[in-house]
Amino acid sequence: MLTRRRLLEGSIAGLLASASGGCNGMGSGRRVVVVGAGLSGLNAALILERWGFEVDVVEAKTRVGGRLWTLDHLPGSPEGGGNVMGAQYGRVVHMAHHLDIALRTPPRTLPSDYCIGDQRISRDRWASAGANPLPEAWRTIPPQRLMGKLNETNPLLKTRAWHDPNLMASDRSAEVGLKALGFPNAAIELINANNSYGNNLSDTSLMALYRIMGEFGRLSGPALAVQEATLGNMRLPEAMAKQLSRPVSLGEPVVAIRHSPSRVQVALASGKTLEADAAILALPLPALEHIEVNLSATQTSLLGQIDYHKIVQLHCIVDAPFWEGAGWSGSWWTDGLLGRIFTRPIPNTSRYNMTVWINGDHCDPLNALDEAACTETITHALWQLVPEARDVTSVGQLVRWSTDPYAGGVWALWRPGQAGTAHGAIRAPTGRLFFAGEHTAEAYRGMEGAMESGERAALEIMRVLV
Amino acid sequence: MRPLLLAVFLSAVQFGFLSASLQARPLTGEQLYDVACRACHSLGTAPDHRVGPPLGGLLSRQAGTVDGYQFSEALSASGWIWRLPTLLAWLTDPDAAIPNNAMNYVNPLTAEEVQQLSEWLLQQP
Repeated sequence: MLTRRRLLEGSIAGLLASASGGCNGMGSGRRVVVVGAGLSGLNAALILERWGFEVDVVEAKTRVGGRLWTLDHLPGSPEGGGNVMGAQYGRVVHMAHHLDIALRTPPRTLPSDYCIGDQRISRDRWASAGANPLPEAWRTIPPQRLMGKLNETNPLLKTRAWHDPNLMASDRSAEVGLKALGFPNAAIELINANNSYGNNLSDTSLMALYRIMGEFGRLSGPALAVQEATLGNMRLPEAMAKQLSRPVSLGEPVVAIRHSPSRVQVALASGKTLEADAAILALPLPALEHIEVNLSATQTSLLGQIDYHKIVQLHCIVDAPFWEGAGWSGSWWTDGLLGRIFTRPIPNTSRYNMTVWINGDHCDPLNALDEAACTETITHALWQLVPEARDVTSVGQLVRWSTDPYAGGVWALWRPGQAGTAHGAIRAPTGRLFFAGEHTAEAYRGMEGAMESGERAALEIMRVLV
Repeated sequence: MRPLLLAVFLSAVQFGFLSASLQARPLTGEQLYDVACRACHSLGTAPDHRVGPPLGGLLSRQAGTVDGYQFSEALSASGWIWRLPTLLAWLTDPDAAIPNNAMNYVNPLTAEEVQQLSEWLLQQP
């Protein structure tokens, strides 16, 4: 209970802290609540603590890491969430080094064959296969490389300015844009079958695709190998959380955030209320929608309008390489219910992790099912495609990000017309509220984007909290 | 102290003097380096595990010339010498300064902060 004596004591303590200049000359006595213990929130919290702020991190889930989720209970500890650390992910890699998190080059995913309709096609026959629907000039391009053709016209290969008003003619439906660029309908349909960067091409901005493919184009190359944490990517946010002075409050969903010109109050579902000078909302927008909070009018109108990518994964364990001897490579790209199947060896064993990976609007019918029915539907289709797998494959874990109320999808997508201004508006500080998360990052996406956004949010707070 | 006076005093202390006000305060070069550069660039002159080259001894150094660090062709061929005007231009908009560089960075700093950071960086040994 707040008594007059405690209030007076607190005031005097605050005066003394202000007079002494505080730890590192700023921030002392200033409290910040970070909502969300993913990479962005944790990075912001660590920076602010370095500069003397008192930081409370609250997390709705019972674990840290957000959309990093290593499936530690399965052989090979496959990643149910963020799985790739790009070679240029400087912040992620430095943090891993700093915290003694070992990184490695991931075990190589086995090459992919194809399945179009009910026709299985080995990868060396793709160009000549009758089931290849592409016109002559495009037939040699494998389905998973079709989007790469975008870099032949990509204005963002030489710049990161994906909000440049001069380029906004490309902030339109990717489906329309690809047609205008000469992509044949068959190519557009194949891209739509397994598109990691849009739930469907008609509702995705071509500029957003330029941004993603431009990043790949600029940052890829033989010298730039991707990495992963040897013991699982979750080890990174776990180690970051341990660096904080105060433990992350886990299993504490936020229900309301009230802010005035002088204070922020963060109300938790448990009934507790945290008082602070500022708050960082480091959570995905679908999760933010569940919190009662006054945002700017623009932000309020954008909430619910910004799409999130859908992914359904079924993680399986394979005891023996059933594809060997049958003429297959081990992974598949399909234009059907199964989407893609990625298979990779589990180091130092004879077993394999096999992940059925379904993207975009193709997830909708699966997300409408309960967990058991969803798993059954996917495994039924899997045994139909590769009956030889059945005796040597066990089902490990179904992962559905869209049905997770604290995620609502895997990453933000930008609809036609949103690349220009929505990205800037959704992250603009509102009074004492600041925003972080991959959806607010400028230069990067994914894990590095999350880290980048945490830096920016910390910077914004350091600027104004004197 | 009478209750009314105490309340007035507490109110003044709590909200008049102590309440954290939202007004811009210039950050130091060290703070700006810590938030905006440190994860990718060490100080000193020897490359380490970080993605970017070390930023010590920058003043008068030719761009793209740290031993043991692989720079982009664009930076190596730029002929730039790091002094205040070049560093200001580079940090403000790397793409415009030296197109096709490898630093995937969008400047989050104000012009004043870029100035502060640049002056500080150029003093680092």
